Amino acid sequence: MKQLLMTAMIGLILISCSDDENPSPRIDAPDTYTFERNGSSTVAFNGQTNRIMMAEELVDAMLDFSITKERLLEMYRNETASGDDASPFDDAGLNAASQNIKSKVAASTDYFAANTSESSQIKADFEFWISAQVEEVFPNQNTVASPGTPGQLADGSSIRYVNARGLVLNQVVAKSLLGALMADQMLNNYLSADVLDAGNKRQDNDNELLEDGENYTTMEHYWDEGYGYLYGTSLDKKNPNSTIGQDDSFLNDYTGTVNNDNDFTGIADEIFNAFKLGRAAIIARSYDVRDEQAKIIRDRVSKVIAIRAVAYLQQAKVALPDDRNNTTAYGTAFQLLSEGYGFVYSLRFTRMPDSDQPYFTKAEVDSMLSSLLEDGPNGLWDVKNSTLDSISESIAARFDFTVAQAGS
Amino acid sequence: MLKYLNIRVATFILSMVMIVLIVACSVENEPTVNSDNFNRKTMLTNWADNIIIPAYENYTDEISGLVKAKNDFIESRTIENLESLKSAWLNAYIAWQSVSMFEIGKAEQLSLRDFTNVFPASKEDIEANIASGTYDLSLPSSRDQQGFPALDYLLHGSAESQAMITARFDSEVNMRNYLSEIVDRLSSLSIAVLQDWSAGYRDEFISKDGSTASSSVNKLVNDYMFYYERALRAGKIGIPAGVFSNTPLSDRVEAFYRKDVSKTLFMASLNATIDFFNGQFFDGSDQGASLQSYLNFLNSVTQGTDVSSLINDQFTRTLTQAESLSENFYSEVENNNEKMLETYDELQSNTILLKVDMFQALNIQVDYVDADGD
Repeated sequence: MKQLLMTAMIGLILISCSDDENPSPRIDAPDTYTFERNGSSTVAFNGQTNRIMMAEELVDAMLDFSITKERLLEMYRNETASGDDASPFDDAGLNAASQNIKSKVAASTDYFAANTSESSQIKADFEFWISAQVEEVFPNQNTVASPGTPGQLADGSSIRYVNARGLVLNQVVAKSLLGALMADQMLNNYLSADVLDAGNKRQDNDNELLEDGENYTTMEHYWDEGYGYLYGTSLDKKNPNSTIGQDDSFLNDYTGTVNNDNDFTGIADEIFNAFKLGRAAIIARSYDVRDEQAKIIRDRVSKVIAIRAVAYLQQAKVALPDDRNNTTAYGTAFQLLSEGYGFVYSLRFTRMPDSDQPYFTKAEVDSMLSSLLEDGPNGLWDVKNSTLDSISESIAARFDFTVAQAGS
Repeated sequence: MLKYLNIRVATFILSMVMIVLIVACSVENEPTVNSDNFNRKTMLTNWADNIIIPAYENYTDEISGLVKAKNDFIESRTIENLESLKSAWLNAYIAWQSVSMFEIGKAEQLSLRDFTNVFPASKEDIEANIASGTYDLSLPSSRDQQGFPALDYLLHGSAESQAMITARFDSEVNMRNYLSEIVDRLSSLSIAVLQDWSAGYRDEFISKDGSTASSSVNKLVNDYMFYYERALRAGKIGIPAGVFSNTPLSDRVEAFYRKDVSKTLFMASLNATIDFFNGQFFDGSDQGASLQSYLNFLNSVTQGTDVSSLINDQFTRTLTQAESLSENFYSEVENNNEKMLETYDELQSNTILLKVDMFQALNIQVDYVDADGD
């Protein structure tokens, strides 16, 4: 009862604050992500669903030891090396789809439209990791990994395959795509006012000018495409939080993981509610409200990435063997460190809500990644606890959480 | 730069405030147990001399019986010799349950548990190994192709009847070689561990009597907890009962091909964990310094909750519940899974008492992670 009173009081305070400071018109967001015009839905994000599924197949295929490098690269590009149509996926729908992963990696308007040199470096990082998996790790499938030698290691009941420096490359690719593809497209492209309003898009939205043959305005559709990078494979795409964390191996997965941590409970609702309200604001032509919601999403999604980066580095500290000479006992730590490596890589695609910049620049991210691999000659085999702590501290310092909160 | 400095200063001040708060809290609420006067060396000595080493001696004895029975069967491939081999397998498998939790020292270096008892065995991979005659049993990925579960398959599941199994061994030299290699590997692994204890590791183990993360007590208590949580609670009961999946997985029971010994193996494991907690000698003759006496010692200082009694009471409830299970866990999961789940719940209650209450009382940090497994 006391708690209820407290909640009510806090609610009152919040309401009174927003009434005082924000005289913008009241916008009612629907209970679910359901928006209709003339009795049919205006929501579509098939392209995002396809790219998430392509990324799932690519990451899984990196552990299919019979697959060729060419085929994996075709999965990344959805075309052959010479640019012809390719059918690399098991899912025929994906082969037929016009989308591909590569063209949307490091491809947001805000960060990369005028920064194609960095964009092409980032795109090439993925091709490098994919190639290294086939050229360095696959030949050592039946070798026990040791410092400087790629191969397999036990991690509980699982087997991990690492390169010479201890990186689980399929995990590096998965967790880096989460930033370079999903977060970048969402935070720095589709939720960007410059993209949403480009050309006549605001005027077209004001006038409800629909795209040719579609039931949505371009602005509505862009917002939905941002939504699709988080909920594109959700069981119930209109009400996705009932299965948050279970619907993909990328942003959905880790938004769920962070939401399950008592220190961050509610973050999944905050993100979903902001998407809903922002979309309702577009219909109500309340662009300030829309942009406020974009800020909330940028803040929370960036935080998810940062929390997981710290969490993995901290868990890896616990998982590193007491006896650092016991080379058979590194499997769990390497899996965690490789996931952490990908999340650190993804920090470059985060977005500070009141800025046009990420929380960490490419140079800062590169320096953290190098320090992970440069405590000794053999990369992660030599990583020191102090290095993991110092990277964790520098990440948490730019956010409103502590290393302890993220690490638990 | 100025802004950065300010953040640093603010963080520093905040940390100081938090430290003051934390210190203030702990002074008022709970006495620290960092420098308790419990004699850890006496407990380590009891563990090594009266429990661990005798249990390994018993295990290697049973393993040498298994090697002999295997050699006899390969020499003379009769149904009688197959039956002797099966019974030697079971005796060694039961003896294994008393050493599995001690994954420290050489056992840890060799990943003894993973190469001895990962189940379910992979029938497909085992048959492929037999057919090709080429395999590398030292690879982590071959863990489910060796050890007791692989023997379970070869001796009970590789053909429809005892006669047909015997006939297969009789006609397939590759199968005899495979049987021989996995039994010999069990033997060499177990001997390596026992010899290490005898050749100096015992003294090293006892000498590390401090309370740091790398001390023997902290490490072995973590190994014990890991075993209880993962191998006993989850591996033998929770996973087959479907606690971690959408549906029960009856083919994940221990000794799936033999079927009617799952409970025997489980009870051996449960009793071994209870005996270790109470410092019961392996030969049953007496009790020495133990986790139980350590907790009682601490409790006599703090006058707090009697954690050791709570744990032992919960062990008793678990034993009572487990007694109601039938020998065959496969059919129990298929037909009577409620009882498996109830057993799991009893095991789970002690997971909390051990991992939270006991670890806190002993001031030991958990040194393994609950990996998310993706």
